[in-house]
Amino acid sequence: MSEEVIKLERVTAGYKVVKGALSIWKQVNVVLRDISFSIGKSERLAIIGESGSGKTTLLKVILGLLKPIKGSVLLYGRDIYRIPDEEREKILRKIGYVPQDPYRSLNPVLKVKTIIGEPLEVIGENKEKIEKRVVEVARFVGLPWSALDDTPEELSGGMRQRVLIARAIIANPEILVLDEPTSALDVSIQAQILNLLNNIYSNFKPTMITVTHDLAVAQYLADRVIILKDGCIVEEGKLEEVLYNPRHEYTKTLVSSYLYTTTTNSVSGFNNKS
Amino acid sequence: MVLAVKTVNLRIGYLDEEEEKIQWAVRGVDLEIQEGESFCLVGESGSGKTTLANAIAGILPPHAVTQGKVYIFDKLVVDDSSRNYNGVRGRIVNYIPQNPGTSLNPFLTIEDHFYYVLRDLYKYDKSKSKSIAIETLSKVGLTSEILDYYPHELSGGMKQRVLIALALASNARIIVADEPTSSVDASLRAGILGLLSKLNKEYRVTLIIVTHDIKMTSAICNRTAVMYSGEIVEIGKTSIILQSPKHPYTRMLMECVPILGVEKPLKPLPGEPTRIFEDISWCSFRERCPYASVECKTTPSMIPVGDDESHFVKCWRFHEVA
Repeated sequence: MSEEVIKLERVTAGYKVVKGALSIWKQVNVVLRDISFSIGKSERLAIIGESGSGKTTLLKVILGLLKPIKGSVLLYGRDIYRIPDEEREKILRKIGYVPQDPYRSLNPVLKVKTIIGEPLEVIGENKEKIEKRVVEVARFVGLPWSALDDTPEELSGGMRQRVLIARAIIANPEILVLDEPTSALDVSIQAQILNLLNNIYSNFKPTMITVTHDLAVAQYLADRVIILKDGCIVEEGKLEEVLYNPRHEYTKTLVSSYLYTTTTNSVSGFNNKS
Repeated sequence: MVLAVKTVNLRIGYLDEEEEKIQWAVRGVDLEIQEGESFCLVGESGSGKTTLANAIAGILPPHAVTQGKVYIFDKLVVDDSSRNYNGVRGRIVNYIPQNPGTSLNPFLTIEDHFYYVLRDLYKYDKSKSKSIAIETLSKVGLTSEILDYYPHELSGGMKQRVLIALALASNARIIVADEPTSSVDASLRAGILGLLSKLNKEYRVTLIIVTHDIKMTSAICNRTAVMYSGEIVEIGKTSIILQSPKHPYTRMLMECVPILGVEKPLKPLPGEPTRIFEDISWCSFRERCPYASVECKTTPSMIPVGDDESHFVKCWRFHEVA
């Protein structure tokens, strides 16, 4: 494997829960247990699991938003929770993040062009350069010119997703983190977004981490998969290996649930055709 | 065969207050569904599939504008602007909502859910509703233990099963399921589809499923209608539609579905369904259609395809779609 970009060592993470009227009982609800894995440069990894398995928590840990209880999170060889804030910020700026829900992740009062330009504004680029870059990125992700002056409310789900992707890639990130990039979208829009993400990968070769519950989506966005179940990694490997030779019980049910819907005669007829 | 659902030139619209125009979500749908059939409505968001399903289930919002007719087992429920679902909604037609996580009352136990439904419909008392609850829960593969649980104590798949059991408890003969698998995890989809299929086959419930995932239809439905911009653009037996789709939109829907273990390029058409405010005299798919030509300036009619008398397509150039 080439240079390790992200490395997690025995990470245990969770949330503090306060119970009782006087908030005296403090308890930690552990979501991730003993997670270790690493990702090389320009590698594409998918994290797969059902709701409640800890996928989104794992992303929070990687994005520097949730300090793990135990273990270390290394980005470019530096433990992001044990270095000075300035240095951490510098490293985290290399990450572009596409949040889960396009309907709730955009500020409804800002114009689309302001939203897309925000990452550059934060690092203090000048206005002209931001404007130029916004137009460039919007064209790349397929946002129409007229949409730049709209607010997100006026856009459809697919267009909002394009805005989120544009915002994530505007600062040329080396790592792209996608949280359920297509789960809120229809099949045809999902296909447009999957093609766009593949286009981004072939142009810029970022390290890509995708969280999804759908193996069929993962095969378009990843070469390697990690299967999470109840906060533990139950299976890890190349996508084909996991698909054709699942070892864990959960992976087996997951894979067989697809075969149920795709191996009927009518659909295999369609497979041969395309 | 008895007709379970029949619509005659059904149009449903919503008033757009800003523009002071009616946006038509369903435009002139003629549909016949036989009793005991499992029928699937496929389309993207904005295609009008949910509005049509709501009209059958009797849960259109009061501000919706309707024209045309809907019959449920020979009873006229929609007659132009008057709508009367008394004795039909809940008793004959029942509805399984889209999101199991938010469709159950968090303050009620599962037993109470059954009690309130059956009390309102048939004035049953607690003990009778409990025995019905146990019976229907066993049909969906749940034990009577969960009667005392609150919704948050159940997993997503179990909640979906409870919703299906609730729909069954009222002895409904038609069940309308809105996206039954879109909000449950991938690993649970097969189980839910298997269950719905079992209800259809063993209990002769007429099943109407609304989905955007055309590959899912193959698992349970024997007939499929594809909707675009409020119209049915292709209708026929599921196996025939999946093997040789004749409408360019159906073809695109199939080419967009990622299939596990099959590496194929996804070929979406650019654009999204158009919103329609007035009567149009052209084909609504014209702008996105790769086969569009001069004749597409007039609305196509339902054209029968081949020898199969149940397969119809709304496209002038369906011969070229191969």
